Amino acid sequence: MQRQWSVQAPGEPEAEPGGEELCEQEMKRLCLSQHPVRVLPYAMMDKRFIRQLREPEGVKTSCWQQWRRRRQTAGRRLGEAARRLTRGCGLWEGALYEIGGLFGTGIQSYFTFLRFLLLLNLLTLLLTSSFVLLPLVWLRPPDPGPALNFTLQCPGSGHLPQTGVSKFNNLLWNVFTGRAFNNTYLFYGAYRAGPESSSTYSIRLAYLLSPLACLLLCFCGILRRMVKGLPQKMFLGQDYRSPLSAKVFSSWDFCIRGQEAATIKRHEISNEFKMELEEGRHLLLLQQQTRAHRACHLLTYLRVNILIGLLVVGAISAIFWATKYSQDNKEESLFLLLQYLPPGVIALVNFLGPLLFVFLVQLENYPPNTEVNLTLIWCVVLKLASLGMFSFSLGQTVLCIGRNKTSCESYGYNACDYQCWENSVGEELYKLSIFNFLLTVAFAFLVSLPRRMLVERFSGRFWVWLDREEFLVPKNVLDIVEGQTVTWMGLFYCPLLPLLNSIFIFLTFYIKKYTLLRNSRASPRRFRASSSIFFFQLVLLLGLLLAAVPLGYVVSSIRSSWDCGLFANYSAPWQVVPELVALWLPPPSQRILYYLGSHAFSFPLLILLSLVLTVCISQSQASSRAIRRLRKQLVWQVQEKWHLVDDLSRLLAEPGSGDSLGPESPVSRGSRPRSFCPGFPCPGSPGPRPRKPGPSLEDPAGLRGVSVPAHRFRFPSGSEL
Amino acid sequence: EGGMGTVKQSDDFTLTGSLPSARAHRRFCELLPQEHRSVEESLQARVSLEQILSLPELKANPFKERICKVFSTSPSRDSLSFEDFLDLLSVFSDTATPDIKSHYAFRIFDFDDDGTLNREDLSQLVNCLTGESEDTRLSASEMKQLIDNILEESDIDRDGTINLSEFQHVISRSPDFASFTV
Repeated sequence: MQRQWSVQAPGEPEAEPGGEELCEQEMKRLCLSQHPVRVLPYAMMDKRFIRQLREPEGVKTSCWQQWRRRRQTAGRRLGEAARRLTRGCGLWEGALYEIGGLFGTGIQSYFTFLRFLLLLNLLTLLLTSSFVLLPLVWLRPPDPGPALNFTLQCPGSGHLPQTGVSKFNNLLWNVFTGRAFNNTYLFYGAYRAGPESSSTYSIRLAYLLSPLACLLLCFCGILRRMVKGLPQKMFLGQDYRSPLSAKVFSSWDFCIRGQEAATIKRHEISNEFKMELEEGRHLLLLQQQTRAHRACHLLTYLRVNILIGLLVVGAISAIFWATKYSQDNKEESLFLLLQYLPPGVIALVNFLGPLLFVFLVQLENYPPNTEVNLTLIWCVVLKLASLGMFSFSLGQTVLCIGRNKTSCESYGYNACDYQCWENSVGEELYKLSIFNFLLTVAFAFLVSLPRRMLVERFSGRFWVWLDREEFLVPKNVLDIVEGQTVTWMGLFYCPLLPLLNSIFIFLTFYIKKYTLLRNSRASPRRFRASSSIFFFQLVLLLGLLLAAVPLGYVVSSIRSSWDCGLFANYSAPWQVVPELVALWLPPPSQRILYYLGSHAFSFPLLILLSLVLTVCISQSQASSRAIRRLRKQLVWQVQEKWHLVDDLSRLLAEPGSGDSLGPESPVSRGSRPRSFCPGFPCPGSPGPRPRKPGPSLEDPAGLRGVSVPAHRFRFPSGSEL
Repeated sequence: EGGMGTVKQSDDFTLTGSLPSARAHRRFCELLPQEHRSVEESLQARVSLEQILSLPELKANPFKERICKVFSTSPSRDSLSFEDFLDLLSVFSDTATPDIKSHYAFRIFDFDDDGTLNREDLSQLVNCLTGESEDTRLSASEMKQLIDNILEESDIDRDGTINLSEFQHVISRSPDFASFTV
């Protein structure tokens, strides 16, 4: 709400006539504007006055206006309710508020992320159960009867696939390995359906499409949230630097309520500013380096990255061998240990890896921002690569991907070792999921809690150095994203895995909250909430893509088990779709669908997308050009104003009228916002205060490099605009 | 009766969202002395600055005095009425539009109330953020570098100060600003 005062010569009296005229203009504008009164930035008594002006009390508002106002209020309330619903129905609001107040919004964002994942899982579960489970239970399709009797030609006599290997019939053990649920709806094997017909609901299609639909929905949801948290870069030709001014203006966290938290926040802010300034200086130095220096710098950069890359490769080959060994030796006496060997190796690798990375990166003496980013990127790579390698090695043993084993040739999968391979894969993912959760619980109660108790009890130098555990947001986020990726991987083999994951996330929230409030100390390293939203969603998106690739491959090209599940007679699960299309749709629609799915359609689609992309890019380029032009014009206009004031004050000073106080910069007077009010000074009005002198003329701030002949009016040349 | 009706009506003027005016009224009454807590009196009463500053939400805030000054409508800007209190809650709630928040943020950061953020305002702002203790204060050269950077990035018309539109422009690009919520 800016008001430009008319330029006044210094000799004239204080604002009164001009001020009143402006008040009237402003009042007229506010009356006519359509903005609802509540969004105007005025004090409440002013808002009441405005409302009275708009609708004087004597005048009866027409029925139409009343109805419109009621509708608007109802619409607004509905919008607010919908927003609350999407944010989680107010689940855990109190806890989140408390955490934000004590630790700031950086750590609170981790817990908000947990809530978001819980919602995603529940949504997935809802989709699966309403399209697959409910019809299955309701329609109760007939069992297709005993499977075809065929003899397996397997190497090794008396080698029966997966019989009675479990020497331990312990119920608890069976629950942990998933054997107890082998014939329940938890795993793929228990789903049965009759042959397809044109009039019944196709359970097969629902089962096939629901993981794909869930992944697509999650993809859209994540993308939407990611865009919201995207840091807006400074474009227009300047080097990308994080906008320091935005940081300064928005860095105080108004949610903080405690004095210690405020002190910690101050330290954080101070450190961040100092770091930013140092990086700015560093950048300036860097730009003055010679080419030889730059090459040297690049080499050291490569060196540490190659070293870490080698470590990562070593780690994932360890995972590969562990998985292979565990699958190959299913009947060993060390059976217990081998069941959980792959998850154990993955956990070990992901525990040691970050420690090593941090150590190596710190040896190189990078600026702190670069250190944090580099370590983070490599941790993400390690986490996702270990999961990818796990699924690949599973694929190798079960489906003979990438190697030639005779047992796979006849049936398309390793039928000798796995009678129902989808169940085996589902069990592996189930075990991984449970193991991750147990690890979280174990760490919270067997590591953090004793550590806190010991640090409190003893006061030696070692204990003071050890101190309580730091609550590291990135590490916790990566753990939870890993759990979610495993759930997504297992959607096809273990459709109720989202239910399990929801329970785990629910419990993890309370465990982590307990750990944070009791056993941790605030980390001195700051983690901004905005970049963290983007980071979390990006890592989640990568996990989703990682889960989608094997799923797509399995669904489209791998032969399902002969003996169990829904797709027993199909060459690949996706073959259900053409069959159903042929059954349900009339021939013209079939032809259209075939054309849409064929390669020939991709050319027009590609051309169309390229056109759209070209238009968008050219639009954005035109906009940035326009912005550049407008900025230059703004600068010129302000300069022109100063020149006018100079000229005017010179002209008025000449007839010798009294003491010219010296021209003041019009801007310091002209852009004071004044909230009008009827009568007495209102908040924001300047009031009877001694006016501070504007910036002196000798160095008009910002006009660096441009010489200003003080009393000359200058038109800009065309090149400036 | 009329009093509570007035209180409920205030919903139309504020954006309190999840905190309806009646609850805000209860919080406000807790700050008044016991004998003035009737509805009619509380709507007319004013609460001194010291009492508002003792609220837990504001106690640890370095901008608490500025917040109270900006929302106060008394001539000497040292007390808050109930309506001012509602205004305060309304702007700081999570249903307030970014426009309103940035407008009031600008007024809070404008320490000398002249309508623009000049170098002194900015340096006072930074001092509030980093605190007064020795190890967190910025040195004079760091402060100068910081303010130069800020003005370079945000002062579009190059007049040495940041006015409201420039401030809103900077803030609109920062997704962090939602933390301007109590």
